[in-house]
Amino acid sequence: MCGIAGFFHPALTAEGFPSTLLEMLQYIAHRGPDASGYVVDERCGLGSTRLSIIDIAAGLQPLSDQTERYWLCYNGEIYNYLELKAELEILGRPFITHSDTEVLLQAWIHWGPDCLQRLNGSFAFALYDRDEDELVLARDRYGKRPLFYTPHGQGLLFASEMKAFLAVPGFVFEHDPQQLASIAATWTPLPEQTGFSGIHNLPMGHWLRVRAGRTETRPYTKLDFEAQIKVADVAEAQTLIRQSLRDSVALRLRSDVEVGVYLSGGIDSAIIALLASDLSQHPLSTFSVEFADRQYDESAQQQEMASLLGSRHHALTITHRDIVDHFPAAAWHAEIPAFRSAFVPMYLLSAQTRAAGIKVILSGEGADEAFLGYDLFKEVLLRRQWAALAEDERRTQLARLYPHLEHYGPQDIAALTGLYQQFSEERLPGLFSHELRFQNGRFAARLIKNAGDPFQAISALVATTPGYTEMTPVHQAQWLEFKTLLAGYLLSTQGERMSLAHGVENRCPFLDPAVINLANSVNLRFDDGFEEKRLLRQAFAEQLPQSIVHKRKFPYRAPDSAAFADCRPDYLELLLSTDEIAKIPFLDGKFVQALTKKIMSSAPTEISTKENQAFIFLLCLVFQHRYFVQRANRPTMQTINSPLLRAIDLRRR
Amino acid sequence: MSDKIRDYIEQSFLIEFDESFPEDTDLFKEGVMDSFGYVQMCRFLEKEFDIRFSEKEITGNVLTSLTRIREFVLQKKRSENAGADTSS
Repeated sequence: MCGIAGFFHPALTAEGFPSTLLEMLQYIAHRGPDASGYVVDERCGLGSTRLSIIDIAAGLQPLSDQTERYWLCYNGEIYNYLELKAELEILGRPFITHSDTEVLLQAWIHWGPDCLQRLNGSFAFALYDRDEDELVLARDRYGKRPLFYTPHGQGLLFASEMKAFLAVPGFVFEHDPQQLASIAATWTPLPEQTGFSGIHNLPMGHWLRVRAGRTETRPYTKLDFEAQIKVADVAEAQTLIRQSLRDSVALRLRSDVEVGVYLSGGIDSAIIALLASDLSQHPLSTFSVEFADRQYDESAQQQEMASLLGSRHHALTITHRDIVDHFPAAAWHAEIPAFRSAFVPMYLLSAQTRAAGIKVILSGEGADEAFLGYDLFKEVLLRRQWAALAEDERRTQLARLYPHLEHYGPQDIAALTGLYQQFSEERLPGLFSHELRFQNGRFAARLIKNAGDPFQAISALVATTPGYTEMTPVHQAQWLEFKTLLAGYLLSTQGERMSLAHGVENRCPFLDPAVINLANSVNLRFDDGFEEKRLLRQAFAEQLPQSIVHKRKFPYRAPDSAAFADCRPDYLELLLSTDEIAKIPFLDGKFVQALTKKIMSSAPTEISTKENQAFIFLLCLVFQHRYFVQRANRPTMQTINSPLLRAIDLRRR
Repeated sequence: MSDKIRDYIEQSFLIEFDESFPEDTDLFKEGVMDSFGYVQMCRFLEKEFDIRFSEKEITGNVLTSLTRIREFVLQKKRSENAGADTSS
């Protein structure tokens, strides 16, 4: 794993290229503390800071071909690199190292952009063609690795994390209020959004080419959920699920260093841990977050799973104080406002993982999106049928949907009936599945003054996506989950941004194209979807503890505003002081103060989900505005010196 | 009664009813009402006014604005009182 940064035809003088590039890399050194390197010429600079996983000695970056025409800096892993290498060798491509970086370089030289579809991995890379004076950026299909860019001069700046742009002379960060309102309302950024004016996230599954002052962005794959595999019956479905996940875990255990597992206490990470334990040569290391606040804690199932596997289990207990103390540093790493505090414990867990000597972990992200694990999917099914159902059928289905939630008990059936009645018809074209969620999001969007319709951007996105309108309501819901919550929060803010804050690489076996294809072919084929992930549970029922197999979806969450109301850190003054709030001109100061006062003066039980979300979003935003726009001192963190092992200056030649 | 409902909605949803946001505003359409807030409000009304909503009553868009909520609760109280008078 690595961080990459660089520029192409920027509005900078070439004398300063090396020092600017080194400073950019310093801002993202946490991503790759093992080695750094760069190459510059008169037009371009590419840099890499590397966490060594495969061919540790030979994987130095940036890497070139023998002619020094092509230069590559690359962040991620191509899990099928051995298979691709074998194919390329047959085709006559030369190899000097055993690293996947060289496989990617040769794949590009041989196949060009057509190579992207062949890659099974998590990656983001920049490739410079000196002969053609052209730069290419590309990103994996699900958005596991980040890549940000911003137009600059005749070209652009790019980096794995936007904080690298702080190093570029004259660069100014500015928040974009319209984007922020969209992020607040939909919970997460859309694929291209960053919350900052002029800075783009290269959308997942896309590549970009800059040449002769022109930039073009193209998709190389499309996300759909059509069944492609014939599955005869439930027994075959279960066998295929077991096999595809086993293969996916085996691919992701390819590493020259030990691979651990994050155990959440739920079924998804339990399956991953079970398979990793089976396939590993050594006892598995597992890591979990426990909560002092018991309503969030899943330690019983975590420990049960760890003892079943005999793993070296490391548990980290998180208190309100931990969340409050580390929130500023985690918000610095996250860069984009989040709507939950649950990323903060993951920031601390990665520190513990690294301290235990593990720098690669597997985790369960993607299972809920692939195998329909969220209540949202059931809600869509029910809301679609709503008008056609009789009163008693509605009652039965509502009771099936919400048997577990404290705030939706059987006594609330009448209220839920009224609510569903309001949401049984589409109001936002193409967004039917998410209207209940988005209704909550409108509250947080009120933090931004005069922001207009916060759903304009997402409405435009679905309206211009080929094939979206023809999808079923559940497939549209899946599509939206992959493009928003999964990529925009779970994989990024809560996932890789927190793990790489401490140089830990995360891998997600459920997000393998073969696993997703299989899920597409079995979902809703053999059941009605109201028992979430039924086939997945059944496939591993005999090998896992019953308490985990039969546990309902328990979303990973952490104490939100309650932690801040409890600990009352000094920095809350940033929200309570009129002068401080006035520094962020697009915030609605009156609403900010009303919200903050309510959070601070009410019992946690009186604070609703939407208020918690708005408060965490606000707090993130205030810190990120300080660090990036106001350029106030960033939180104190350990300085990382990634040794400079490669410095290539082509300007003299 | 009306002030209790109005106060509850203003506090729960951090809004203020005024000329620019009149009491007959559709709270769903304006994005004020959320799912959890709606269920909580139903619980509040049932408890505060000692009434009980049925599924049938509630599907008729009766709880969408402060004006309609107030009318519905009043009507409900009246009919319950009438029922109580008849049976006594």
